[in-house]
Amino acid sequence: MDLYLWIEALGPSTWVREAPTVWGYPTVLTLHTFGMSVLVGTSAVLSLRILGVGGSIPLAPLRTLFPVVWVGWWVSFVTGALLFGAAATVRGMQGLFLAKLLIVAAGTAIVVLIKRQGYGPNADQVAVSRTTRHLALLLLLVWVVAITAGRLLAYVT
Amino acid sequence: MPVLNTPHLHLLMNHVPTVGTVIGLGLLLLALMRRSDHLMRASLELFFLVALASLPVYLTGLAAQEAISGLPDVSADAITAHHNGVLLAFAFVELTGALAWLALWQFRRLARPAAWMSPAILLLATVTVVLMAGAATVGGEIRHPEIRPDGGVLAPAAWVTVDAVREFVISRAWTWPTAEVLHFIGLSLLFGVLLVVNLRVLGGLKAVSYASLHKLLPWAMLGFGVNLVTGMLFVIASPEQYMTSDPFYWKVAFLMVAGVDLLYLTVFERLWGLRAGDNATLLDKAIAVSAVAAWIGVIYSGRMLPFLGNAF
Repeated sequence: MDLYLWIEALGPSTWVREAPTVWGYPTVLTLHTFGMSVLVGTSAVLSLRILGVGGSIPLAPLRTLFPVVWVGWWVSFVTGALLFGAAATVRGMQGLFLAKLLIVAAGTAIVVLIKRQGYGPNADQVAVSRTTRHLALLLLLVWVVAITAGRLLAYVT
Repeated sequence: MPVLNTPHLHLLMNHVPTVGTVIGLGLLLLALMRRSDHLMRASLELFFLVALASLPVYLTGLAAQEAISGLPDVSADAITAHHNGVLLAFAFVELTGALAWLALWQFRRLARPAAWMSPAILLLATVTVVLMAGAATVGGEIRHPEIRPDGGVLAPAAWVTVDAVREFVISRAWTWPTAEVLHFIGLSLLFGVLLVVNLRVLGGLKAVSYASLHKLLPWAMLGFGVNLVTGMLFVIASPEQYMTSDPFYWKVAFLMVAGVDLLYLTVFERLWGLRAGDNATLLDKAIAVSAVAAWIGVIYSGRMLPFLGNAF
């Protein structure tokens, strides 16, 4: 609890919470939405391709989308940290928020695994394995749960 | 003082869904009789654009309702009947546009759309014309006592009413949050797919042909469909939150640009011909930039709506 109080009192946390400008909380929240849509949207395309959507799209060149996924991830992470800091004492005690963090961590791990297994340098030569397909499906589910949890946080303050 | 206010815009635009669908239907019939794919595509493109333009027609209508309710000579019964009629007509004009888009996409992928497509679109467009004509007639009666029948308002029976939709959204605690969740899932899918396709035009993913990425477009359309339905639930349930908010109008304007760009991505020849390794022309790249920028504008003004507008 002391830790949460300390985080909440930090400069950036106070600024996000209290600055009377649209560049504070509203902009950070909006950037979080952009980060989310790039992270989830781009990795969803990569998962859909693994699952057979757009079967003629070669796999290997899609590797170049991973940096885009990570840009979305970092934007979400930095803005998410700021939003958490602004309300650390509330969010830190919330089961739904902590569950969301775990779900996002799981999603991140699955993205790494999909990159390694589905989009390796020899991706086009080997058929997509069952495990990779299961991972792709799991990622779509995990992102749906993560968005649901995140969105519902707005209703349980 | 703005030159155009929202009731004026509604008066300017409100003939587009009716007249546009009638012209589209005429073109489609002509296309079937003459067995002309060119005419068929023209009619499908028109249906898509009419569906797109119907969105601001509906929304300016809501704003007009707020503005003119209570004025002398304005019939409150006619407003209610008009809105109820428009609800179903709007659903059908959007369905027609969505199916027309799918047929255009199939023209690309399969050389021609599935056999059931043209009869289905013909049927949907016909129903749309009937429903729109009914709704439009009552719309005229709002401000024109001279065309009202003696017994008051001539209103077609409403299968779905605005009050029923409002009741569905507001009286159940879970409807609004669930629709918000779906709206965010839809926006991620839509933005992700269109980002990837437009990145190809801009020169990322150059090792992939445009035609193969074109296969992904229906997933963007699916995301858009989810967001259109959930977004309309918000607006119908709580119009005053949106109609008095400037960012909401920016959002609709950005949507119009994004919709036209999506049609361009779907049907135009030059993009379709981009093989692996090919560079898009500067004009196509500019259009891709405008598409991504328009979606950023849509998401920005939607998410910032509670903060920039005066609505909440």
